[in-house]
Amino acid sequence: MSIEKRILARELWLAAARPGDIVKPIWFLLLVISMVPLALTPDSDSLAEIGSAMIWVATLLALLLNSEHLFQSDFSDGILEQYLFFDRPLAWLVGLKLTAHWLLHVLPLILISPIGAVMLSVPGDVSIALFITMLVATPALTCFSGLGAALTLGSSRSGILGALIMLPLFVPVVVLASGVLVRAMDGSETLPLLALLGAFSVASAILVPIAVSLAIRVNIGGSN
Amino acid sequence: MFEFQFESLTAFLEMAPHGSYVWPVYLLGLGVLGGLTWANIVQHRRGLRSVKRQIERGEKHES
Amino acid sequence: MRWRWFHQWGSPRWFYERAGRWQLVCGWLSLGLIAVGTIWGLGFAPVDYQQGNSYRIIYLHVPVAFLAQAMYAAMSVSAVVLLVWKMKIADIAMQSIAVMGLAFTALALGSGAVWGKPTWGTYWVWDARLTSMLILAFLYLALIGLRASIRDPDQAGKVCGILVLVGVVNLPIIKYSVEWWNTLHQPASLKLTEKPTMPASMWIPLLINILGYYIVAAYLVLGSMRAILVARERRSSWVRELVRRV
Repeated sequence: MSIEKRILARELWLAAARPGDIVKPIWFLLLVISMVPLALTPDSDSLAEIGSAMIWVATLLALLLNSEHLFQSDFSDGILEQYLFFDRPLAWLVGLKLTAHWLLHVLPLILISPIGAVMLSVPGDVSIALFITMLVATPALTCFSGLGAALTLGSSRSGILGALIMLPLFVPVVVLASGVLVRAMDGSETLPLLALLGAFSVASAILVPIAVSLAIRVNIGGSN
Repeated sequence: MFEFQFESLTAFLEMAPHGSYVWPVYLLGLGVLGGLTWANIVQHRRGLRSVKRQIERGEKHES
Repeated sequence: MRWRWFHQWGSPRWFYERAGRWQLVCGWLSLGLIAVGTIWGLGFAPVDYQQGNSYRIIYLHVPVAFLAQAMYAAMSVSAVVLLVWKMKIADIAMQSIAVMGLAFTALALGSGAVWGKPTWGTYWVWDARLTSMLILAFLYLALIGLRASIRDPDQAGKVCGILVLVGVVNLPIIKYSVEWWNTLHQPASLKLTEKPTMPASMWIPLLINILGYYIVAAYLVLGSMRAILVARERRSSWVRELVRRV
């Protein structure tokens, strides 16, 4: 088995061993969505207006919640240190790990979003736009939250710090996504913005793992 | 160019009608810059003092 | 011999002594410039025909807002120097600039908010410039928080350096995206009308103050660097020697 396959298989096995890690963010997302009408109004017209944005923000928070410990257990177990001895660049292995994380922990959040859209009476075409936006935008967000997790590996009590550090860097993605949603609501062309968002995701997927691998190297060097 | 724009000192302090906006901003600026200067001095002194204490303790240990 | 100027920066003792002298010069120079610029701006610059006297806030707001951004640039230069040449001074510079940068950004936001009240009728609007300034403040805060959470200073410096560089790549993207976002949601009706010409008696004091604030920032950063240097090098012989001499 190649190293790549082994890493992916291990991620899959770990996720199966701890299904709570997958369920909890979804649970959180649905709870936040249920709070919106309770806090604001049950009136479906006003909900439809802000619903897609609320789901988007709630997903963002859920995503941060589940990426907090992306590298932590592998770091304390010494698995990350072993990564250094494989004949593959660390950035590549990190990218692999982030991909696995996206598939196992982020994709479920996206798949659940249509249910949230129904709960907040978001119109059908906007909810499709929301779904596609998330699909296109979350790779970039996953990369950045992975960076937050990697930077705080050496922290004595990291906790929420990774999220606090990375949220400001989410701004371009959030802004572009809100542009798509606004256009979807007026029924105008969303494709150019989606393309731009996709480009941002691709660029992040290429560049951010390099920064993540640097951060991991620094933290491994500092711990012994 | 170098003409004082206000008729009296009270008019200057009043800066009608925006004195209540302009002056607090400058006080805030003064406070922040002064505070940072002060904090630097205190931190510097504290560092030097702790080194001094360290040296004294070391000398006592030797004797 | 040719590299001596460069290697000197690697010597904490050399830097500490030199910075002390620079700090003195910067301190008095900035005090003079800011006193002249501010008194000129507050008392002698003509009243703005549209905004009245409230415009006089620019003599603090504009220099501080310039610096809030310039300090991030200075910090990223330090980050490159640290990560490439592993120079300790650069790490200390980064640490000092992050704190001062946050202070200047907060001051820019605060003075902007107070200025907004008489000109826009509200303390806060989600204007593109205000929003990106707010994000900048959060970035400075992130750097301070990250450093505070890591015990080993060398490790903390490198990790912060990575974050600084990621931030510097992102900042222009953030700035443009926020500008675009602003036009998306509402036409910028609250924007100040740019005046075609500012009389010299208005912009000369502003220029003096900008220069003065740049120098006061240098003064503050140097002061904070010296304090951090003493604390970090407290076990080294040169600090002990220094304390004995005093």
